[in-house]
Amino acid sequence: MKKILIANRGEIAVRIGRACREMGISPVAVYSECDRTALHVRLADEAYAIGGSAPRDSYLRIDRILEAAKKSGADAVHPGYGFLAEQASFARAVQDAGLTFIGPTPEAIAVMGSKTAARAAAVRARVPVVPGTPDPIPPAISGSQLQEIARSIGYPVLVKAVSGGGGKGMRTVIHPEDLVDAVRAARSEADAAFGDAAVYLERRLTEPRHIEVQLLGDQFGTVLPFVERECSIQRRHQKVVEETPSAAVTPALRQSLAAAAATVARAVGYTNAGTVEFLVEPGGAFFFLEMNTRLQVEHPITEMVTGIDLVQWQIRIARGERLDLDPDALLTPKGHAIECRIYAEDPDNHFLPSPGRILALRAPAGPGIRDDSGVTAGFEVPIFYDPMLSKLVAWAEDRPRAIARARRALGEYVVGGIKTTLPFFVWLLGQPEFAAGRFHTTYLDELLASPNRRPFAEPGAGIEDVAVMAAALQAMLSPSATAEGGSEKGVRPLFGAGSRWKDRARLEGVEGLAARAVRH
Amino acid sequence: MQYDIETGGRVRHVAVNRAGDGFAVSVDGRLHQVDLARIDAHTLSLIVDGRPGPLGPGSVYEATVAPGTDGRVVVAIGTVPVTVSLHGRRGGGRRQGGAAPGSGPLRITAPMPGKVVRVLVKTGDAVRARQPVVVVEAMKMENEVRADRDGTVAEIHTRDGMSVEAGALLMIIQ
Repeated sequence: MKKILIANRGEIAVRIGRACREMGISPVAVYSECDRTALHVRLADEAYAIGGSAPRDSYLRIDRILEAAKKSGADAVHPGYGFLAEQASFARAVQDAGLTFIGPTPEAIAVMGSKTAARAAAVRARVPVVPGTPDPIPPAISGSQLQEIARSIGYPVLVKAVSGGGGKGMRTVIHPEDLVDAVRAARSEADAAFGDAAVYLERRLTEPRHIEVQLLGDQFGTVLPFVERECSIQRRHQKVVEETPSAAVTPALRQSLAAAAATVARAVGYTNAGTVEFLVEPGGAFFFLEMNTRLQVEHPITEMVTGIDLVQWQIRIARGERLDLDPDALLTPKGHAIECRIYAEDPDNHFLPSPGRILALRAPAGPGIRDDSGVTAGFEVPIFYDPMLSKLVAWAEDRPRAIARARRALGEYVVGGIKTTLPFFVWLLGQPEFAAGRFHTTYLDELLASPNRRPFAEPGAGIEDVAVMAAALQAMLSPSATAEGGSEKGVRPLFGAGSRWKDRARLEGVEGLAARAVRH
Repeated sequence: MQYDIETGGRVRHVAVNRAGDGFAVSVDGRLHQVDLARIDAHTLSLIVDGRPGPLGPGSVYEATVAPGTDGRVVVAIGTVPVTVSLHGRRGGGRRQGGAAPGSGPLRITAPMPGKVVRVLVKTGDAVRARQPVVVVEAMKMENEVRADRDGTVAEIHTRDGMSVEAGALLMIIQ
């Protein structure tokens, strides 16, 4: 393998390019119209334009990506996460073009891409699944049959899309009389979002944690699980903070989760990197949730506590190497790691996207800090994609020290020109429940919904005084850098795109835009 | 230079003067000594009063100043963004040709794009330093444009109700 085409953008394209370079492999980038100046292009050896800014015109165009691969002479394709990463048809097209797909087989992607097929695989492997229907609900089912199924599962039930993800096509039903409407609504939402209206029912567990197991499988049947990742800190079903190890997992539970994850993976002949997600009840009972057949956003925290480079191993497995890692070491975390997903969103304005030009950027550094970023100062954060800017990862000897280090690093992080979720993380990591490790999958949504919550970024009187001083000094010394002087000199259009995105968000409805941003 | 700067629903009166190597900045009459270093086009480092004081537990602040929408400016102090509105330079008219204060014509210009609400003087009027001469409405706020120094109104280039661009000549004071 001499040259790898990275079929992605942003921080993950940068991350994969780094692994390539460290292995003496030449990274090839692809880019859409608005990404010409993006970091993943600037750091590549070759870069090919693949079309318009909308994902369907570029990063989802299998034909153009394969054309770029052919033009560059790449011998392999890494899909990253999102976009085409979990489309079996893409993996197959890459193979049909005579190239290596750095990921699992198209067959494994297809099985795990269907939630009901994945559940069936788990059941066959004797791994517990959340009680629910083994098959999609027949479209023509009667109301009374539906009620009967829901009663046998037990309320509250979740209606979930078979092809779903990110909370879309999902409804919670607490009262039986709401069931029929919820199924209808979930069907139409799933159809719109995934082109597949199939839904199934599952019991909603009480205050579960979302805990997942990373694994690697080689082409010789070896599957190795890693220490768990705790991903219960979610906002509307999207992970925002991940950490490893979990404060709620004992060494015995760790062994059980790891064994269950590996069993499911072996049952489908899984190769390359994947993640098995579980829901864990307060008592320690766990249930298979789903399997993600790709590299996860939060993979760096696992790398920090095991010292294993997961992306390099993806490449090594794809080129036929054997997994010769020590299985015990992978389940023995060294220290603790926490990741915060830094988004271009305004936390004090309902987390609305805040695109625009990054005027100033200072990333934190120093002991135990890793910042996987896809942006630089001067880059215009586009309106077309997930607004994640970077993943800030803090590692330390133990959990309290990792939290302290993450808070230190958040304080160093400066992103000027756009709003970010940095102040939200400063607030969240200061919450007593977070410090105590007492939370579950709906903890953050409940906390955010509390009526008396103060703004995340609340300047004290002293800070306001400093701000007005700085504004006056800047206006006096560099009038073109403030809006006032800027309009005078015609250098204003720094924020045109910003309002464009917001206008679009308003146009489509905030919910609509949020629903469109599929995160991983 | 003097500015009215609104933040958190309150207008602060800010006066900036050079003082030695740094600046003397008064905010609502409270004077601070500021050592200022420019980091980049949008980033300033401030050391306020040389030691921790009434503003907080430290004295070193980093400010990222970014023009926002609707003419506002977002000043981030660390991770805390503070949105401010600069309501013009009071007495911010420019002197021509480096004329010494008290001599030569003084051009009074619009500090921001907006609408002239009232011209407060007429040709031939004597004006004193800091006397309001024009009221310009911008960002739904009325802003007084003041004379920089004593003089006589020589020419008036605007009238009530006129829309003006930032920097537009409003009057000349001799």
